Amino acid sequence: MGKGAIRIFFVTDIHGSNVCYRKFLNALKAYNVDVGILLGDLTGKMLIPLVERQGGGWETTFMGHHTEINTQEELTQLKKTIEMVGYYWVHLTPDEFQSYKADSKKLDLLFNQLMLQRLKEWTALADERLVGTTYKVYMAPGNDDHLEVDQVIEDSAAIVNCNTKNVMVGDHEMITFSYSNPTPWNTPREKPDEELEPMLEELISLVQDKSSAIFNFHAPPYGYALDLAPELTADLIQAADRKIHVGSRAVAKMIEKYQPLIGLHGHIHESRGAQKLKRTLTINPGSEYSEGILKGAVIVLEKGKVKDYIFTTG
Amino acid sequence: MSEMAFARKASGLVRGLSFIDAFGVGFMNQGLTPSMWVMISLGLGVYTGGNLIIATILSVIFCGIGFSLVWGILGGSMPRSGGEYIYNSRIISPLIGIAESFGNAFVWIMWIYVLAPWVVDPGLVMTFQFLGLQSWADFCTQPIALFLIASLMNLTAMLFLLFGLKVFAKVQKVIMVLGMIGCLVILLVFSFSSNEEFIQAWNGMAVQYESLDHSAFLETARAAMEEAGDVLPTTWNWFDTLGVMVAGSWLFAYSYCITFIAGEVKRPDKTIILGNLFAVIVPGVFMLWLAIALYNTVGFEFLSATAWVDNMGESLPGYTFPFPPHFVGLAAIIAQNKVLVFLMGFSFVLFALWWVALSHLAFPRILFAWGMDRMGPKWFADIHPRWATPVKNLILGFCLGEIGIALYVLWQNPTMTGLSVTGLEIVSVWGVTAVAALLFPYTGKVKNIWNASPYKSWKFLGIPAVVIGAVVNLIYLVILFYFFIVMPDLEGLAMSSLALYLVIWLIGVLWYFYWKARNKAAGVDISMTYGELPPD
Repeated sequence: MGKGAIRIFFVTDIHGSNVCYRKFLNALKAYNVDVGILLGDLTGKMLIPLVERQGGGWETTFMGHHTEINTQEELTQLKKTIEMVGYYWVHLTPDEFQSYKADSKKLDLLFNQLMLQRLKEWTALADERLVGTTYKVYMAPGNDDHLEVDQVIEDSAAIVNCNTKNVMVGDHEMITFSYSNPTPWNTPREKPDEELEPMLEELISLVQDKSSAIFNFHAPPYGYALDLAPELTADLIQAADRKIHVGSRAVAKMIEKYQPLIGLHGHIHESRGAQKLKRTLTINPGSEYSEGILKGAVIVLEKGKVKDYIFTTG
Repeated sequence: MSEMAFARKASGLVRGLSFIDAFGVGFMNQGLTPSMWVMISLGLGVYTGGNLIIATILSVIFCGIGFSLVWGILGGSMPRSGGEYIYNSRIISPLIGIAESFGNAFVWIMWIYVLAPWVVDPGLVMTFQFLGLQSWADFCTQPIALFLIASLMNLTAMLFLLFGLKVFAKVQKVIMVLGMIGCLVILLVFSFSSNEEFIQAWNGMAVQYESLDHSAFLETARAAMEEAGDVLPTTWNWFDTLGVMVAGSWLFAYSYCITFIAGEVKRPDKTIILGNLFAVIVPGVFMLWLAIALYNTVGFEFLSATAWVDNMGESLPGYTFPFPPHFVGLAAIIAQNKVLVFLMGFSFVLFALWWVALSHLAFPRILFAWGMDRMGPKWFADIHPRWATPVKNLILGFCLGEIGIALYVLWQNPTMTGLSVTGLEIVSVWGVTAVAALLFPYTGKVKNIWNASPYKSWKFLGIPAVVIGAVVNLIYLVILFYFFIVMPDLEGLAMSSLALYLVIWLIGVLWYFYWKARNKAAGVDISMTYGELPPD
């Protein structure tokens, strides 16, 4: 690798997967990179209650199966698997389970508590492993992440919260934006494209040299190959036989207008790929967090250009 | 017990392909009517002492257990749409994965150039013959016409995929329904005809075309077989019954195509395995029905004689019927109604055409997976933004298919070439994937995937179900490969096929090392694509 080259490992959408996060930290050395970028979504989507049974043991529903746990070994293994797929677990009595089931606000609070707790564990692990090393690690939330997530990342000693900031990655300026255009799930960080556009313009105005910049936008640009997802029916079931563009028109407009060096995106897990938009290389590494598989992209920058890139599955 | 899990509002998909969709892909890749023809004319035509009923039952048992468990469990544990390349490269090694995948990509191209001509001959040819359009049928057998019409079929099949899966799914439903209706007509014709009625219909047509009557055909066929060094058996034997299973694999071993849509099915843990199972059982029921009806209406000895004559491809002296005595032809002798014979012949055309379409479904997706892993040029991973399909890969598959079709129509024994493709699948695709399944529970680098697999607790006598499936699958494959090698009509072809397989594997290995070196020169270590990162 030539002088002045920089190697970036880019990952998105690990959705609470402990295994994927640990793999991300280990990948910095394994892939011999200088910079790690972990973009949102960072938090998980499911909470698995381990409900006490009369006479001992626990029961729950995991991966659609009613599961009974009888021994501590089984319990330990199940908790590990739950964490691997990005879910959260909690011990509950049958009465507590019914109480959470009946009270969605109470359940939201529990979810939030568990999400932030896991994120704190993650940043603590990064602080333990990365402080004193030469690795530079950037992290930012995505549209699925609650607003409190920013502060947890901000509190880390080793990780830089790059959300809505202009940071330097080697000789390249990098700006990051966590919001997406509206989704059918009404997630915490989403706005119509008309509202996203001025927000993006303001963020981009921070960049001095746009032609060598990295635009780290969670939502992929609308109308290209990185935002194709199966069409959904009204009840959010995948129509399956038809893929449609679901990316952000505002993001597409900004990339077409400013033509940065690279656009790094996520959000659409099944639309892993790379595509050139005029002079901009856009990348979506996709995600398979639920299987504990860390999907990413290693990007080699040299002399102000993209020398090469490769998708990884680790 | 109600669901004991909480979900929050977060973006994500509920997978949408149903059991019926998954079954449809698997079932259509079994190619109902043409595969029945292969099992009878190529299988029974070579192993004339084979018992179709027993061969069918054994095949359904072996494939129902072996393929369903191997491909269902691997697909359900790693529900992605990249095919077996994912499983083999992760469980065994990247080198084996790419070499096997290279073989499979070649297999899909072979299917295009074998099956596109089959749409024409015997497909369209038999349909025209049944309708009395002999000059049209003769035209279709001319090499140039065969090439042009097969090319048109190749193009049509590719276009079904070019504009997205919505078009593909709609057309598949129409073809599946029409194809099954045609096949049901064949079954009903045999089911409602007695042996006496069949002989009467045969003799009536013999008079019409001044051909051999029923008994004369049998005697002439017996004499021709003895002259060729064969004996027309009067009853079945185990050796030939197992031998028939080689050609029978076309009807039972191809549901694995579901793996190419595994990333999109609902409840993949159940859907993939059940889709595979039913895509074996349903053709099994059809074939069992056909076999029973054929033995009842046509008789064992006469059926073996007609299969042998059809497989030889040369007209029996004195046999002047306008079409060969394959099983669809035998049905056409009984039911001489124009609409019915059209439906029967067209069933063959439709299923054969859809095989070509499924090749265009699979081949580009294999290349796409390579492109993603940088085991090929970057454009392998290009997706057309409007149609959401790998257009460049589709065009490449079409062009390679065209080269193959041009070579195929000049081949001396074209129909048997189809079995050569099966041989390649046995030694590479099915065999390697069965080994991957055997190793799955015991391979450290996929430990996390196995631990999260919904099949981890599926055990019989303490042995994981996936291991049992792999063993059953391997036994089946050993039987197929043995009879493929000893098949008398494949003498020469079997050996040249083996040489071809070695060359393909060698090219696959060289391909792997070429791209590894090329990427290394660009500063990228390709091995990072495959190795699982340590989670701790």
